[in-house]
Amino acid sequence: MASKTNQPSFALWSGSKIFLALAVALLVVAGWGIYAYSQELIYGLSVSGMGDIGTGGGAAWGLYIVFIVYFVGISFAGITIAALIRLFNLERLRPIARMAELLTIISLVMAAMVIIIDLGQPGRGIINLLRYARPMSPFFGTFTLVISSYLFASLVYFYLDGRKDAAECAKQPGRWQWFHKMWAAGYKDTPGEQRRHRHTTWWLALFILPILVIAHSTLGLVFGLQVGRPGWFNALQAPSFVLMAAVSGIGFIIIIAAILRSVPKLRDRLPMNIFTWLGNFTWILLIGYIYVMAVEILTSTYTAHRDEVLLTQQLFTGDYAWVFWSSLGLILTSFGLLFGQFLRRRYTISLLVVSGIMLNLAAIGKRFLLIVPSQTHGTLLPYDAGSYSPTWVEYSIILGVFAIGTLAYMLFVKIFPIMEIQETGKGE
Amino acid sequence: MARYGMVIDLSRCMGCRSCVEACKIENNTGEGMFWMHVFRRESGKYPNVRWTFTPRPCQHCDNAPCVKVCPVGARFKREDGLVLTDFERCIGCRYCEVACPYGVNYFNWKNPSSNQYYDWEGNEGNDVYGAGKVQDAIGDSIPPYRNPDHEKKYGDDKRLVAGGQHYKGVVTKCTFCVQRTDKGLMPACVATCPVQTLRFGDLDDPDSEVSKLLGQKRSFRLLENLGTNPRVYYLEGAEPIHEINADLPGVTEVRR
Repeated sequence: MASKTNQPSFALWSGSKIFLALAVALLVVAGWGIYAYSQELIYGLSVSGMGDIGTGGGAAWGLYIVFIVYFVGISFAGITIAALIRLFNLERLRPIARMAELLTIISLVMAAMVIIIDLGQPGRGIINLLRYARPMSPFFGTFTLVISSYLFASLVYFYLDGRKDAAECAKQPGRWQWFHKMWAAGYKDTPGEQRRHRHTTWWLALFILPILVIAHSTLGLVFGLQVGRPGWFNALQAPSFVLMAAVSGIGFIIIIAAILRSVPKLRDRLPMNIFTWLGNFTWILLIGYIYVMAVEILTSTYTAHRDEVLLTQQLFTGDYAWVFWSSLGLILTSFGLLFGQFLRRRYTISLLVVSGIMLNLAAIGKRFLLIVPSQTHGTLLPYDAGSYSPTWVEYSIILGVFAIGTLAYMLFVKIFPIMEIQETGKGE
Repeated sequence: MARYGMVIDLSRCMGCRSCVEACKIENNTGEGMFWMHVFRRESGKYPNVRWTFTPRPCQHCDNAPCVKVCPVGARFKREDGLVLTDFERCIGCRYCEVACPYGVNYFNWKNPSSNQYYDWEGNEGNDVYGAGKVQDAIGDSIPPYRNPDHEKKYGDDKRLVAGGQHYKGVVTKCTFCVQRTDKGLMPACVATCPVQTLRFGDLDDPDSEVSKLLGQKRSFRLLENLGTNPRVYYLEGAEPIHEINADLPGVTEVRR
């Protein structure tokens, strides 16, 4: 097999100077993030920009929660694509299956990291969340469904899906042979094993799909069930979380696929029709999100419920107007870009990447708008309006988490084929 | 068993805020923490103006949003009506704080020793109040942020619920002075109020002072329509609300 000799996606970037330089840069950023977190451990969360709701005039949930929601959101991509391939035989998406699954796993781990970072008592949190877990708390769903089941199911799926390639790689001596051997765990690629794997992953995909919707809804319900916060108490919260997760997740996978396509070895394996499919999927999801958003805006302005009006005022013309209008602008512009390309029936990768980046920025902005204004300007009793601006510690920690995630992704791409080996073998 | 509640007669309140002060002293709450807060509102146009005051302790709701959302059961409702925080169990996620419609929760953002108005360690020399090292001033007596009563455990299941200064990274709020009520004393704010605006007692006992007051006068509770079922009743007066800006399209009427 040709794939064995030149290893198309296996030794990606090996020994390259760019890889090394990037890894060092990411390590530095991660180290800076860890230093920032040490400050938080020593001095408490007072080093963040957060403050008490009410007389404190602050937001008790800040940038950390924004990014927890964002990271869980982008995890949408992987499992959706994997499940679509498995259940609906969308074979053309196969080349991006593994990179999407890896995105899911890494982003969920990043979300879990930020959850622990956000806690006032992180050590106690890890123990007590297991020891005293209460199903009545909406957080229960975040920990059990999102972080545990979702991550676990994704890992199992990822493991099973990669076993064949691991067995293939394990045949060749190398520094990571032990890793491939461990992953393959005696897999021989016999017809019986293949059938068993196909069956297992099909059923797993079938069960993951509802978990996908429920998990992202659960995160929406963390906010949607709170009657005491204007802007949160909203039946559309759960569906809008699912849609925003989908939009940002697919947007992110477009970016990753485009980056990997820039590697000459992989160029031919990522044909344009994959990007066309992703672009179409994104604008269809965006229509759903824009619809939900329009209904939300209409509901919060038309009847002029006192507290909703005070909040909406802040979003339209107040302290948060620039975030609101720029997020809205980014969403509408990227929809225009994608839909325009669809109408012309010609997609270009650069425009797709631009839309992907814009959608992810808008996703962060929209989460910020959901979480922060409802605390600083959403008090029902007549407290003075508050404010929240993140400090360097919060920015550094988020950047550090991003760096750790990117580094993990890069290392994985380096030691394991990011696309299925067998397929090229057949193709060539 | 007694089911405690508070009755606040707004027609008596003159806004002296000695309840706020008493609360801070009794519970040693940190900088910027107001377990008891008094809303002040000016109404009318000069020269016909009027000030109204609304004290706001924790409402100790029977259907408390904070208790519902706590992922570890650190925020709990006691049989006698008190909503308390177990400081040994709280993980500091602050979900109770964002869930509370009344804004009564305060998080211990800092270490207890640097959370005070005066720095106990005195590292910074003279602070803005010109106090310098607190330790120098009071010698080796009990540090200002420690009250032995706060370190005891209360209730049948013996949980660490009193005071607000034990750990950094936990959420605190008004406890109805559990360290006092368990001894049969009134909460500090009630005991201090010079004009008996605040009353505390057993709402289940028809002969208690609070029950009698509720029978005599018109009463309301804060944000009653949210269904939180607070155990703090207000007599006379009106609910404090946000002033609304009439500039926004859709707003045709300015309330109050």
